[in-house]
Amino acid sequence: MGWISALKDRFIDRLSPSTLRSPLLWSTAESLARSPLNRPAWRADGVALRYFLQQTRRAYRGDGPVVWASLLFPSELIHAAGAVPFYPEMAAAVISSLELAPRFLDAAAQAGFSPDTCSFHRTILGAWLEGFMPAPSCLAAADYLCDSAPLSFRFIAEREEVPLLLLEIPFRGGEPYLALLEAELEETARRLAGACGIDWVDYLRGLGEAVELSEAARRHLLEVEELRLRHPLLLDGRDALGHLSVLASAPGHPAGERFYRELAAELRERAEAAEGGSNGERVKKLLWMHLKPYYPHRLFEHLEEHGGRIVCEEYNRCFWGEMDPRRPFYSLARKLAAHFGVGDGRRRALALRELALRHRVDGAVHFNHWGCRQSAGGAALVRRALLREGIPVLLLEGDCIDSREYQEGQAATRLEAFLESL
Amino acid sequence: MPESQYVREDAQSDTRMDAREEALVEKAAVRGEGVEPAGESRALWFCAYTPLEVLDAAGLDPRRVTGAVERLEEADVLLHPATCPFVRACLVEGMAERPRGPAFFVNSCDAMRRLHDAWRAEVCGAGGQDVEERPPVYITDMPRRPGPKAERRLAAEFLRLAEELERDGARKVTAGALREAAALRSEVARRFLQWGEGLAGSSRLLLAEAAQALPPSRFLQGPPKGLAEGRGVPLLLTGNLLNPHGLVRVIEEAGGWVRAADLCNGDRAFLDLGEVEGDTLEEAALSLARRYLNRRGCARMDDSRRRGFRLLEMARDCGARGVIFASLKFCDPYLYDWPWLEALLRSEGMPALRLESDFRDGHAGQLSTRIEAFLEMLREGDR
Repeated sequence: MGWISALKDRFIDRLSPSTLRSPLLWSTAESLARSPLNRPAWRADGVALRYFLQQTRRAYRGDGPVVWASLLFPSELIHAAGAVPFYPEMAAAVISSLELAPRFLDAAAQAGFSPDTCSFHRTILGAWLEGFMPAPSCLAAADYLCDSAPLSFRFIAEREEVPLLLLEIPFRGGEPYLALLEAELEETARRLAGACGIDWVDYLRGLGEAVELSEAARRHLLEVEELRLRHPLLLDGRDALGHLSVLASAPGHPAGERFYRELAAELRERAEAAEGGSNGERVKKLLWMHLKPYYPHRLFEHLEEHGGRIVCEEYNRCFWGEMDPRRPFYSLARKLAAHFGVGDGRRRALALRELALRHRVDGAVHFNHWGCRQSAGGAALVRRALLREGIPVLLLEGDCIDSREYQEGQAATRLEAFLESL
Repeated sequence: MPESQYVREDAQSDTRMDAREEALVEKAAVRGEGVEPAGESRALWFCAYTPLEVLDAAGLDPRRVTGAVERLEEADVLLHPATCPFVRACLVEGMAERPRGPAFFVNSCDAMRRLHDAWRAEVCGAGGQDVEERPPVYITDMPRRPGPKAERRLAAEFLRLAEELERDGARKVTAGALREAAALRSEVARRFLQWGEGLAGSSRLLLAEAAQALPPSRFLQGPPKGLAEGRGVPLLLTGNLLNPHGLVRVIEEAGGWVRAADLCNGDRAFLDLGEVEGDTLEEAALSLARRYLNRRGCARMDDSRRRGFRLLEMARDCGARGVIFASLKFCDPYLYDWPWLEALLRSEGMPALRLESDFRDGHAGQLSTRIEAFLEMLREGDR
């Protein structure tokens, strides 16, 4: 990524909180993103990059109320308010990709946060303690997928003296619980609108539009999934793993709809151009579970060298049904309740088994992020469910954010041995 | 130690077991080997937010699982090593003992959710039983934010649980039975606090273990024997859950006296229990929900300010000269709790020391130097 190197040379190595608020940084970043230096693998990636740069600039420049949100908090609720969504877990991934995480992890440790907690959240806390995060108007967290977001967000919200909007998702699904969740969403939305200073009637109008955009994005996403199923080699999973940020933060914004529309269109074009070519018979098709390391690493090169190819990813897919803009809270309740990470762990295991079978994978890799009680905590159950279907599973220990906790040689050896065994 | 009116007379009191023996007998009873009839009504629970009053009112006999702490590694088969060791120990106990009774879980934290999943898969699902023969597993939601909405939501959970139990053959829960069960649990709490006064910290935890392992009627017969009086520098112990034979013993040996144990297997479950009232089952369930939401909370609750100030009040009330924050490894709610709690305690002039436990506490002796230094500092502060 040439533009990142250029940006790093110019700003990152001398990064301070004031740099992040400097108009020069953002104008440089945005012009670099538009320049020929930046050649994304897919046109849709350009859409995503421009969207994230714009939103991050707005967040740091204080251009509107800023809502920090955890990954499962519905972005539609934030876009409805015209507020700036800021996803600290994604910011931690960016910090890691810029090789800055150790600095903030050390700051969190200095403040007393245990190294046994999730490094995404320790990075967030460290960056916030050092003044590198944008000032929030409120923080919004769902109590799934894990406990870390409500806990770390609570720490920050209390010190920032801003509200923490905690969305409590019932363990069970089904109509009575959907009604409960619908009410919970409406109450959360009212608090969010209040924290952002937006009139409720205007908010509801914005929410209808956001859900409509989200539904349009969902339809394109379904097409993307269908195309990937038919042409498993077209979109490399290691690129697709990055789409999680779009899936979490862009539904409800025009960029979300544009991203998936562009991606579907380009996949169609490339599929037509590659008609008659390889359809993945000779590669080892893999399901990738949980996230990836975000710092520089060669894990995926090792994977490719040994004939492996990620054809589907755990988080990066449409898990919910049609949404109705006339019933926005009910639609969002259905979307949240449909997430395979909510409720009984068997849901996750079954969803992954179904995904693996659908894509006819040869094997599956679960990246066990240190300190993740949700994902690594449930990995053995998932492994058992996949093994029952004859799908070999590699549980790969590591850390998505802290490169100091990742042993490239060890991981590569295990990955190679696994791929050779397939 | 004050004697209870429920303590049996001399001849009978000789038959009293110490708390550990009691727990072992209870475990044997679950396996169908002990002195107790191993009925299907023996219900197992894990999290301190389990609504015991509902289980009592349904005619069940709830016992808290304390875990097989010696063989934690056996849990690796389904739980990642970086998971709460209490939860891992509970799974190991379940795998070893294959209990026949129902198990009750609370959707309180990631670790409890994982235990629920693993229990279903490994304890209930293993052995190839037919689905109908597997011991039932129940789970209730537990709101994080106290308030009227949470009370209604939790009450609905209790009512649903009561319905499920009745459907599965347990006694119908009525308002009267719920009130009666709550009164009995309040009496257990009152006796725990009364008998626990002046005890050493480890004995206090053993007393709490007995209160959570025995049926209320048996606990109320009298305190287990072999409980020791405390002495030394008065301290408040706070955290999630500790092994009564581990870290707390090291604190005692170093000269500290845990006057109050703000732990979920310590005082916390017995403090500030509100009355349960109501003529209808719905009213009683709502009142019970208030009891659970308003009592001393675990760090998973979204009410840290209230929790912090209650802790300070507790420390002052028990005359503690310092606070020891000791939590089990990999417990996120407590790991995120320490930084702000330390700041609060410091701002209030209350010295604090942080320790960590792996539940087995084989290494706990290594912490004695830190504990001794902390106690020395407290003593010097008095001079």
